[in-house]
Amino acid sequence: MLVISRKSDEAIVIGDGIEIRVLRVGKDGVRLGITAPKDVAVHRQEIYEQVKAANRSAAAMPDDAAELAKRLRSRLTTTK
Amino acid sequence: MTTTGPIVTMPDGLPGFEQCRRFIVVTSETLQPFTCLQSLDEPRPSFLALDPRQIVPDYAASLGDGDRARLEASDGDALLWLAFVCVDSEQATVNLRAPVTINARTMRGIQVIPSDSTYSTNHPLPLD
Repeated sequence: MLVISRKSDEAIVIGDGIEIRVLRVGKDGVRLGITAPKDVAVHRQEIYEQVKAANRSAAAMPDDAAELAKRLRSRLTTTK
Repeated sequence: MTTTGPIVTMPDGLPGFEQCRRFIVVTSETLQPFTCLQSLDEPRPSFLALDPRQIVPDYAASLGDGDRARLEASDGDALLWLAFVCVDSEQATVNLRAPVTINARTMRGIQVIPSDSTYSTNHPLPLD
């Protein structure tokens, strides 16, 4: 892992067009400003990990998904 | 069940399945109101899903500028929204926190992960 020290208002640049700037260093955390191209998704890691875990739990084999739909659809109580 | 159809490209894949870029949307009368999002890339995961508005009628979908750019979305493009269903031995839930959205015009899709959201990744599926 590359380790770099930065002070408030200093930044690092990653590749072409990604800049991560330290906006404020406080007692409770570091505030970062991220500039990235629009096609680059930026997420908080814990939220990304949460979605990753949810996707892995939801993934099924195609036949299983169809079987599940058959079981659930008669029991589903939606407003539509 | 119809398993052919236009291919949806998800340029970032899905978290946990980043290598899966090509998907098809499977709809049929026997699945309805569910839809199945099937990946054509290994390990070829299938996701049972439904429109989040089926569960929360006033569901507020949140789409940022970056999301719109990745979808190559223009004003007026019809977007399909799919929230993944997860079933285990205890309960059935639906991920309203991070729905997949597909631009029907460009056939590009992304999983939308807003930085802030009041919705849960495991909202209970309302069952009898």
